[in-house]
Amino acid sequence: MEQLLQYTVTGVTVGMVYALIGLSFALIWKSSGVANLALGGMVLIFSWFTYSMTVQLGLPYWLALPLVIVFALAVGWLIERFALRPLIAQPILSLITVTLGVFYFLEGLCVFIWPWMVDALPRIFPPEPFHIGTAVVAQAYVWAAVVSLVLFGILTLYFRYHKMGIAMRATADDQFAVQACGIPVTRIFSTSWMFACVVAAIAGVLISWIGGLHMGLVETGLKSFSVVILGGLDSFIGCIVAGPIIGLAENVGGGYLTPMTWAGLKGVIPYIIIIIVLFIKPYGLFGEVRIERI
Amino acid sequence: MGLPCGTHNYTYDQDMAIMRTKTHWALLVALLVLLFTFPLYSGGYLLSVANLIGITVIAAIGLNILLGYCGQLSIGHAGFIAVGAFTSAVLTNVLGLPFLVGLIAAGFMAGFIGLLFGIPSLKVKGFYLAIATIAAQFIIIWVINHLKITGGFVGIAVPYASIGGLVFDSEASMFYLIMVIAVICTFFAKNLARTRVGRAFVAIRDNDLAAEVMGINLFYYKLLAFFIGCFFAGIAGSLMAHWIGFMNAEQFSLMESILYIGMIIIGGLGTALGPILGVIFIRLMQQGMMFVAPTIEAAFPALPAGFATGLAPMLFGLIIILFLILEPRGIAHRWMLFKSAYRLWPFSY
Repeated sequence: MEQLLQYTVTGVTVGMVYALIGLSFALIWKSSGVANLALGGMVLIFSWFTYSMTVQLGLPYWLALPLVIVFALAVGWLIERFALRPLIAQPILSLITVTLGVFYFLEGLCVFIWPWMVDALPRIFPPEPFHIGTAVVAQAYVWAAVVSLVLFGILTLYFRYHKMGIAMRATADDQFAVQACGIPVTRIFSTSWMFACVVAAIAGVLISWIGGLHMGLVETGLKSFSVVILGGLDSFIGCIVAGPIIGLAENVGGGYLTPMTWAGLKGVIPYIIIIIVLFIKPYGLFGEVRIERI
Repeated sequence: MGLPCGTHNYTYDQDMAIMRTKTHWALLVALLVLLFTFPLYSGGYLLSVANLIGITVIAAIGLNILLGYCGQLSIGHAGFIAVGAFTSAVLTNVLGLPFLVGLIAAGFMAGFIGLLFGIPSLKVKGFYLAIATIAAQFIIIWVINHLKITGGFVGIAVPYASIGGLVFDSEASMFYLIMVIAVICTFFAKNLARTRVGRAFVAIRDNDLAAEVMGINLFYYKLLAFFIGCFFAGIAGSLMAHWIGFMNAEQFSLMESILYIGMIIIGGLGTALGPILGVIFIRLMQQGMMFVAPTIEAAFPALPAGFATGLAPMLFGLIIILFLILEPRGIAHRWMLFKSAYRLWPFSY
């Protein structure tokens, strides 16, 4: 029972970070209809950039974190401007594969600059953990969960009430109609990529506070695809609901089923969930079911 | 279209011929002779590169049928190759069955696993399918890493391929085995595209709803595409296992899967020539990087330490992006343009 509580607490909090990465994905999907498979690479490179700022340059966090955000904005702009924009109105297959190319490039870049590949960010939260009943949870986890909830709130409000957010939703719906209304579609795309990169950067920093810096961050990014698949691609609320579900399944399932099956089950559970969801409810819990016409 | 000046088709047979003129036949024979005498005038290293290219071509042809013709994105191709490799390894090493049984069984095993992960393609497409195949990649590698029979993380030794009394224990003999199978596969893929099945694939790629309305059974043809694509992957995997002699699931990473997609994009999606050109391009470039990167690193000590390992993936990512933007139809399309240009030379049209 104590174990269960511990698994649950860890699962929910880690799930919130997955949800945050999922938000980054949904942001781009909602505004431009592009599936960003480079998410793993993005999380990786922003975490390592934070490492460079804080450890290698020795900057304090209050200076380093804004720099990371600026860097994320720049990367988002660059990716959109030079990889995605030339492919506007190309088949969906090209758009997916170009993000794979970006993924490959970013991972190579990380190996290029930080070849030792395992390290840790300096501690920002005090080491003593929170106690919830008998469960122990590090402060980093709790803060990660709080930050994702706050970002979720901001993004939801932004997309519902802000002019730019509404324009983004409209763009995803019909690019031609939006252009006819005088909304600059290209600026919408680059804004959404820049925002998504910032969200990915925040998620990357949070997750490397929790688990350290390593190539496994790529897998964390990939695992978050299970969040968007389960929650529905175009739904923020889906992300924030599905994230903890995935985290729970991973931790509780991994905790109890690993003795019965094989080690490493924890890492595979999100992928198994993806397959199950695609079989049963392919558009996820909150996703919009697409009806196609010829 | 694409015929030499003054050549016209008067019969159906002429229209359908792959090799239309005597020059075509002569060039084909010359190419095959050149290919099969390659071991006579090349050393061990070149041969091993050629073998790697041959195996990769077989797998890439499979992916081309799946992605290029049928339009079903699979980012788990390395996983399916792994299925083939380990099936063959287990059958020949643990159970002691002959190589041919292992080869065929590897194809069928990979094909059936591919069918399983291809089932979501009936309901979803595009990104959803991409994610399903990424999941397939991770699940397959996890299972292989933990099965007792596949040797787990340690890996498994694989005996030499042998047919009857013939043992393929050298690079040169392996070269003949691989190339014969690669040529057969290329021939099969070229012809598949011209049959009812191939045309159905293309129809599904271009618009699957319209294809269904025209009476194409989506369920059957999509799964068939997955089966054929993964069957080729299994055959390639089996050959790779017997060629290397030792299999470990680490060789089949997600990055490798992405590289396969990159290869057929660079070569040209949905053409018979594309996978071959793309594979040669990427594999030769990989080999080139192995020479060039350390040399550059030695010449400029100021470069970061990850230069040699990080440069290759960076370049590949860049090349994939550049090809998608600048030449989405790949090298094969450039080659066609070049052919029509030299046929008309010195006139412009």
